[in-house]
Order: sequence, then C-alpha cells, then structure tokens
Amino acid sequence: MSTTPQGIHSLAFRVMRLCKPSFHVEPPFRLDPSDLFVGEDIFDDPLAASNLSPLLSSHVNKSTDSSDMTFANRFLLHHPSDAMGFSGLLVLPQSFGAIYLGETFCSYISINNSSNFEVKDVIIKAEIQTERERILLLDTSKSPVGTIHAGGHYDFIVEHDVKELGAYTMVCTALYNDGDGERKYLPQFFKFVVANPLSVRTKVRTVKETTYLEACIENHTKSNLYVDQVEFEPAPHWTAKILKLMNSILQITRQLGKEIVKPPILVRSGGGIHNYLYQMKISSPGSEQVKAKRSSILGKLQISWRTNLGEPGRLQTQQILGNPSSCKEIELQVLGIPSLIILDKPFSVHLNLTNHTDSELGPFEVWLSKNSAHEKFVMFNGLQTMALPAVEAFGSTDFHLNVVATKLGVQRISGLIVFDTKEKKTFEPLADVEIFVESD
Amino acid sequence: SLGFVVVALDEPSPTIDPLTNQFGSLNDLSHELASLQDLAMRGSWRSILDKVSRARSLDLLTKPDDHLIYLSYNVLALTKLRRFSDASNELDSLHDFNSHHYKYETYPKLYHTRSGSMVPFSLRFIHAQLPFKLGNRQEGLDCFYLLLNFIRQKIKDKGIHSLQESVKIWRKREVFVLHCLIGHHLGAKEFNVCLDLIRHLINHDYLDPVLVSKLGYIQMQIGDFEGAKGSFHRVETMLNERKNDDSSALSEVEFRNLVNRNKALVFLVGKDYVSAVREYEECMERDPADVVAVNNKALCLMYLRDLSDSIKVLENSLERVPTVALNETLAVNLCSMYELAYVNHSEIKRTLSNWIARVAPDDFDASCTRV
Repeated sequence: MSTTPQGIHSLAFRVMRLCKPSFHVEPPFRLDPSDLFVGEDIFDDPLAASNLSPLLSSHVNKSTDSSDMTFANRFLLHHPSDAMGFSGLLVLPQSFGAIYLGETFCSYISINNSSNFEVKDVIIKAEIQTERERILLLDTSKSPVGTIHAGGHYDFIVEHDVKELGAYTMVCTALYNDGDGERKYLPQFFKFVVANPLSVRTKVRTVKETTYLEACIENHTKSNLYVDQVEFEPAPHWTAKILKLMNSILQITRQLGKEIVKPPILVRSGGGIHNYLYQMKISSPGSEQVKAKRSSILGKLQISWRTNLGEPGRLQTQQILGNPSSCKEIELQVLGIPSLIILDKPFSVHLNLTNHTDSELGPFEVWLSKNSAHEKFVMFNGLQTMALPAVEAFGSTDFHLNVVATKLGVQRISGLIVFDTKEKKTFEPLADVEIFVESD
Repeated sequence: SLGFVVVALDEPSPTIDPLTNQFGSLNDLSHELASLQDLAMRGSWRSILDKVSRARSLDLLTKPDDHLIYLSYNVLALTKLRRFSDASNELDSLHDFNSHHYKYETYPKLYHTRSGSMVPFSLRFIHAQLPFKLGNRQEGLDCFYLLLNFIRQKIKDKGIHSLQESVKIWRKREVFVLHCLIGHHLGAKEFNVCLDLIRHLINHDYLDPVLVSKLGYIQMQIGDFEGAKGSFHRVETMLNERKNDDSSALSEVEFRNLVNRNKALVFLVGKDYVSAVREYEECMERDPADVVAVNNKALCLMYLRDLSDSIKVLENSLERVPTVALNETLAVNLCSMYELAYVNHSEIKRTLSNWIARVAPDDFDASCTRV
C-alpha cells in the first residue's frame, strides 16, 4: 500500500492502522490434575476420595507458585474460567482492514531515521486526499520536530472522520536536511478505499391519515455491527413514532443487583438486516398539513452503531420521500351509476368533486379526453363539455354527467378531464369506471 | 435445582498406614507419573512422547489404568505439538470410552472392590476439543453438548448413590465444559449464546468474580457499556463483601488485580488511556507476573503515541518473568510494535525469535513472530 520513494532517504514512514484492539479468544488445552492423573470415577471409591484430595491439592499449590519457573499455566487450569480461553489479553490490529463511511480513521505514523547520521530541521506533514478534497491532518512547520538522531524516530497519531466514499490517499511528507546537509523531500503514499457499511431500504405505505415508514438496515461490512441508536428525524410538520414489539423476555432481572440485561441489536456481518417501523402523522392542522403532504419529504434516518469494542460509526441517510401521489389537490368520486345501462340510452352518473387545497379552485370544465389508444364507446350525451362553478377551499360539489354507451358488454368511462379554467391546470382525477351495457 | 460449589481440595484424611497408602505420591497413582508431570509442567512435550513410547516398548506399564494415563499424556502432547490428526487417531484407538475394558470392576484382581470408569476425564475433553482444531466446528460443539449431557447424567447417578465426593468432581467438570462452550461460542462471535450460558451459571448460584468480569468484557465488546459497568460493579461488591474463608479460588492479590483490570478496560474503551495505564500499573506493582496487565498497559502506551515505552514494557516483562510473560499474544503485539518502530525490523524480530527458541516450551507457536 505504500509506494517506495525514489532515491535514498535517511528517513522512512511506517504506518499502522490504530482502530480499537481486539480480545484474544482461543479455547486452550488446559486441564485439572484430577482429570489426568486418575480415572474419572475413582472418587466413587471412599478410600481414594479421602486420600487423593490432599495429594492433588498439594500438587496444585505447588504449580501455582509463580516464582517456580515452569510453564504450568499453559497446561494446568489455574482458575475454572481459564477453560474459556478469554483472559482479557488484547491484541493490536493485525491488518489494515476495511474502512467504512461514518467511522473514524485513526493511524499511528512513525518516521524513522534508519541512517547513521542525524537529520536536522525536519518538517512533517500528513494529508488525506480524496477525489473531492484535501484535508491536512498534521503540519509540524509551526512546532518543528527539529532533529531526529541516528536510529531515532518521531511518532504521531492522526484521526480523520470518514465522510466520503471511494479512494483515499494518505500522503506523508518529510522535509529534512540529511547527513550531508542536503535538503531532501520524502513523500510516501498510503492508499485505501472507503466503502459503504450500510444500505437503508425504505417502504412507505399510507393508510387513511397515517403514513407508515419501514426502514431496513443492511450490514455490508465484514464484522458484526451493534446498532446503538436509530433516530428518525421527521421533516417539518410531521411527527414520527417508532413501533416496537416490547418483548418481556428481553428484560431479565437477577437476584443480586437487579440488573437488566440489555440484549444487543446485532446486525450480522455481510448481509445481516434489522427493520424499523415508524408511524407518521402530520402534526400541524390545516394549511401546513397540505404543504407537508405535497412536499412528500418524510425525513431522515440517523444511524449510530458500534463494531469491535465499541468502535463508533455514524451515518445519516438522505431525505426519505413519501408517496407524492398520496397528496391530491382534486378528488373525484363516483357517487352513483344506474344498475341497468341500455345500449344507446342516455344515463346519469352522479359525481362529487372535492377540493383538498387551502384555496378556492375553479371554475372548471369537464370533458372526456379524445386522445386515447382505444376507440371510445362511452361519451357525453349532448354538450361535450360540462361547466362547473368554483369550489371553495376544502369544499366539494356534486354534479351529474349525462352519458351514453354505444357498444354492448363491458365498457369503460375513461379519460375524464377536469380543467381549472382560471389556473389553466388539468387534472385527471378519476380512474376508469367499468360499466356493463345491455341490449334493449 | 443445581447448586455449584467450588471444590475445596483440603479435606481432612483419615489416618492411614504410610506403608499401604496407595495415594502417598504421584508415583503411587501411576508408573513414574511424577516424571511425566514434571515434563508437562516444563512444556517438554517431545520428551513426553519419548517417555511414553519407551514405556510402551519396554512393557513398563503393568495395569490398564497406567496405559490410559500414559495415553492421556501422549494425546495431550500430540495436541500441544499441534499434531491434531495424530492425536485424533490415537484417541480413536480406544474405540469406545464407555467400554467395559476401561472399567475398574473388569479387573477385580487389580482394583479389588473399586468400580466405575478408569478413563481419565481429560480424554473426553480432548476428544471434544480436537474437532475444532481439525476444522469441524459443528462436530466439536455437538461433542461438547453431548459431553454436558453425559456429565449431568453422572451427577444424577452419583447423587442417587450418595457419592458426594464424586458429585463434587463431576459438578466441577460440568462447570468446566460450560466454560469451554462459552469460549467456543465467543470465538465465533455468538455473543447471545455466551450471555445465555453465563446467565445460566450465575442464576444457578455460581458466583465467580472472574466469570462476572468476563461477562463484563463481552458486554463491552457488544457495546452494552451500562451492562458492563454493572457487572464490574458487582465484582467490586464481591471483593468488598469477601470473607476470610471465602473459597472463590482467588487470592487477595488476584481479586484486587481483577478489579483494577476491569476499571482499566472501561477507561481504555472510553479512550482515557492515561487512566487505564494507571490501573494496570497498580496491578503490576502488586503482581509483576500479571501478564494481562503488562500486555494491555503496553497497548495503552501505543495509543498514547509512546511506541518506545510500549516496546520496553513488553521486553522488560519477558526478561523479568519469562515463563509467565512468554505467550503468543504478547509476542504478536511486540512484533507489531517492532514492525512499526523499525524500518529494518526483521533483525530485531529474529533476535526475539532466537530468544524464544531457547526459552520457550515445545508447544509455543513460533509462527507468531512472522519471521
């Protein structure tokens, strides 16, 4: 990952990713003497039971004396829980690993003088370069490093919150005077790629006045993720309530300490998912309500999580959109159609027009559009355009259309257009209505 | 209900004629057992293989239980030397652990009225542990869960026959197997199973401060910091409420160090490395052989940008308490530090590697130095 610099340099950068260490876990082959020296059922024998114990205990005591230079602790169990192979020993990160959006990139950087001469007037810089920007992580020109003696090193730790996807290059540079007094410039490049740790899929459903938002979080990383917090930030004028199943099994009290064990919300590595369900309502009544419905922006999800030993990560989704079609300005409902429709005999369709906006709409003209793929067999009887008066804000008006069918069988009233003559705006608010045309 | 008692191994013994005492020394238990055991303590597993081989070829083993004990050491030595297939084959040569061939009552001339299985329990344990090393994790887990059932049946049987000493030993083995299982699930990051198993132990009155601490570590691992702090607080309470006759198997120093290390971990995860170092130093003051404190202190120094001192801490411990400090994890950490501190790190790693070769036991996995 590091490109070797040209020329011979006294100095060289060494880099190590410094994410959190890991617990070492390895179930060992460690035994209790009573499981090795004798048969497993020997303690059934009362003579053995009473005499073995002092022999075994004296042996155990001897082996736990740490001044005794043996490797007994690799072979015998000192304490029952040694069998777990989980002593609390921590291990440094052994590889660079993957870096994900929302995490903090942390690195130990050491610049070593491997020459036999002192180097002077050392200035070190570290910078992160992405497609979009260059971020300075470290610049020692104001507080100079000064001199690095032969065999010496100067260390620093850099941190950067990763907010961009794609290719990153960490550029470490050193300006220094080498043993011959020559001013030298050493650049070293460390490349890595930042990937997306999560994807969020959303589904929006509207049931009457309530909108439901289902969010599915999927873990694309190579390690397990523990969801710390998922917060939904609703757009203005919306409220959101999370719907959760309160499982009583989740709350376990213990006799001592009355602890409640909080089970982790684990999202498994490489494709594990977790779902959230929010119930959303418009919080403010009236005109704001309509604006909110029309904008169709529901809000954002803020997700914070932890990986190994509480290593935090944090991301925000883009604006999540609702269904724009759920906000209608004009609604047209069929209130009545005659049950018997006879070929070529005019009949009346009773309709209601509702204005869902906060201002007066209309006056209107209503007609059946002639642009359609199929030939029309249902048309207005008489005047081909019907005039309707204006409808006040949140108001409605009833009207009747005089219609005639010119073909037998199942037919459709389709392409009904409502035209606002004042705003010059066209609405097509009615889905096709099926009718059955019978003969006389 | 199951109640757990940590076995106190200092029962008073009825007076016995020293001339007829079958249990006076290790050698009374099995042919030259003291020598075998001494080799095992030093980690001289190759010598054990030699000794077993010699004893077998020279027909020095006269009794069936001798053969089994020698086989146990042999199988153990093979596993220690990472010859897992060989170990597995040797175990298979026994065919069936529950066979009458391995029961005391089959040989009344040798064992008089003694009855029961003469198979050392270690063999059952190694038999369950080996599959993991041979890449058969599911088989290994099945073996352990079957072994757990076997043990619980034994506890019932011994209880019915009022064999209290046996009940104690088998209960110890039950706890042992549960710990093995927790370890395996932990290695596979199946944390919910681990928490369940630990809860099972604690809810059955098995109150071991080390286990509760490890519960805390797992809680830390999964980000349940409040839960972890609660567990650590519990351990401190156990320390404060401790009585002098407490048989929790922890010495005063061990208990105090445990509490300090728990505190250190909370600081470490919270990135307060200075405070973590302070806690670990308290541990090292009390017990310079507290290798977990030594190792973790060195790591904290690294996070404090003090690579030189982190190396010194580890090197010092290897010098002062080599038999305790020399473990593969510490060596891996030291080598990582060398790789960072030295451009030409192969030289210094070779020095370490050579030292290890002189000092380390046969079972030390030298590949950890990446030389």
